[in-house]
Amino acid sequence: MALRQIRIMGDEKLEKVCRPVKEITDRERELVRDMLDTMYDANGVGLAAPQVGILKRIVVIDIGEGPVVMINPEILETSGEQTGQEGCLSLPGQAGIVTRPNYVKVRATDENGEEYELEGTELMARAICHECDHLDGIMYVTRVEGNLFDVSDQPEEIEDEE
Amino acid sequence: MTKPVNIREICLEILQEITEEEAYSHIVLREVLEKYQYLEKRDRAFISRVVEGTLEHMIQLDYIIEQFSNVPVYNMKPLIRNLLRMSVYQLKYMDSVPDSAACNEAVKLAQRKGFYNLKGFVNGVLRSTARRLSQVRYPDPAKEPLHYLSVKYSFPVWMLEKWVEQYGYEVTEKICLDSHMEKGTVVRCNLQKASKEEIIASLTQDGITVRQHPYLDYALILSDYNYMRAITAFKNGWIQVQDISSMLVAEIAAPNWGEHCIDVCAAPGGKALHIAEKLMGSGYVEARDISEYKVQLMQENIERTDAINIRAVVKDATVVDEASIRSADIVLADVPCSGLGVIGKKQDIKYKMSVQRQQDIIRLQRRILSVVQDYVKPGGVLIYSTCTIGADENQYNLKWFLENYPFRLESIDPYICDALKSKTTKGGYIQLLPGIHESDGFFIARLRRLEETEEVQGEGYGEDGYQIAGL
Repeated sequence: MALRQIRIMGDEKLEKVCRPVKEITDRERELVRDMLDTMYDANGVGLAAPQVGILKRIVVIDIGEGPVVMINPEILETSGEQTGQEGCLSLPGQAGIVTRPNYVKVRATDENGEEYELEGTELMARAICHECDHLDGIMYVTRVEGNLFDVSDQPEEIEDEE
Repeated sequence: MTKPVNIREICLEILQEITEEEAYSHIVLREVLEKYQYLEKRDRAFISRVVEGTLEHMIQLDYIIEQFSNVPVYNMKPLIRNLLRMSVYQLKYMDSVPDSAACNEAVKLAQRKGFYNLKGFVNGVLRSTARRLSQVRYPDPAKEPLHYLSVKYSFPVWMLEKWVEQYGYEVTEKICLDSHMEKGTVVRCNLQKASKEEIIASLTQDGITVRQHPYLDYALILSDYNYMRAITAFKNGWIQVQDISSMLVAEIAAPNWGEHCIDVCAAPGGKALHIAEKLMGSGYVEARDISEYKVQLMQENIERTDAINIRAVVKDATVVDEASIRSADIVLADVPCSGLGVIGKKQDIKYKMSVQRQQDIIRLQRRILSVVQDYVKPGGVLIYSTCTIGADENQYNLKWFLENYPFRLESIDPYICDALKSKTTKGGYIQLLPGIHESDGFFIARLRRLEETEEVQGEGYGEDGYQIAGL
């Protein structure tokens, strides 16, 4: 397991538009593995490559239903609306209210080069939009309604003692 | 993206803390709601409702779960047990939550909490419950009356047994039912600061529904308000939140001008302040408690009311304070107790108490009484009170006390309204029962220390030779 450094807002890598991945090699696969490790370690539900300083169109997501790897993701369709709290690993301890589509259909390639389509609602739809924004250099704060608020004082996860 | 706050996950964490780590529900809930101030009002209300409701009906929820699970509740993993409880609560008591949402969210939560292999179990139990909730057969009141009460009102059987024995089945059911009733907040008007008419007018202007309390003229019952601290009359110091039972303590203590009073277990200080108010700035009230923190809070309350004849002091009621011996006209012993009289306000009390714990509490109560009775001057008054129901901590303690110390019970009829008068009030004490009285469950006794010349006779009897009734 290799953890990478998560870039914090203000880092210029977070403001760049990323390049599409032309070929998926061991290098990309290693990056995907590291990104998943880094995301889980930070207790996140999604992470985009620019957040670890790599300007490639790659995101990983796991909303608690297993890891999803998206290389060159492309949002095909959105509908509906959800308004709720959103936070980002590149801006720790803060959150804000963001309105996103409630349904998203996306086409992407997985780490083995297989192209697939995926539909997501609610949290999954929100995560897809949030991570794909990163690939275009957009932080969620530009979409926040009202002020950001402090959420740093969150309780620790309950340990599963059994 | 960071993991979003999941309000059901918060509920589950709070329940875990309360049921598995012995935390007190009202404290945990207050702390969590403070921490998540940024959540929308709707989400905060959901958290309070699910946590309080699940605790309120826990025995019944467990009974329902066991109709649909082949694993008994006590054998489940604590997290799964609490997850099922709060989900069944939503199914049974919250019409605003669709059954599918309650089930789906629970399954996702189980998975997120690392119980992937129990997803099917959670799903199965909850779907069956949702489908067949109306067909659940509850215990038959004719065949198993105690079990019936226990499941219907979620009270432990041992507690019901004691109450049925002492008060009868009907009264016990009323006590249980009352704990599930929505009630207004009782406040005491500080009539030195404003007249009752002014106070009522101000409250009405704030859109609050005000009702006169039947037992005391200066007690009002408020409903339809959101936040006490936003009420003008509260901000002005005209009203103070205090249950009627607690106000009756100062009434029954009935201090006279210039008297010295010691409240040995005073925090949060409502009764002591009330007595200080009745002394109209004369005399001196010492409000003691054991913890530095509580005493400081009390001191802040005192300063807010500008009372000059009261002070908060850190002192342990179980340790003799030589300087206080034979010094007080009135000693208030509102001792720590099992709290069974306030279950309507703190639902988890009924599960946390046990016969064993109650025995420990009784020992502590007697230890405090044996120490603080010494502070009462000959001819002075000792008020013994608890916020609990049942003879063990009340009448039996009184009996023990009278057998060991030179005191006699004294009628409390002169200090209470006609609606509260009974044979026992004439005998010197009152047991308030929720559901019977418009009050929390509470016990108050008025004892007078014999003058030195009287000390030989009269033990174990109330005024007019009434033997302690209701045993």
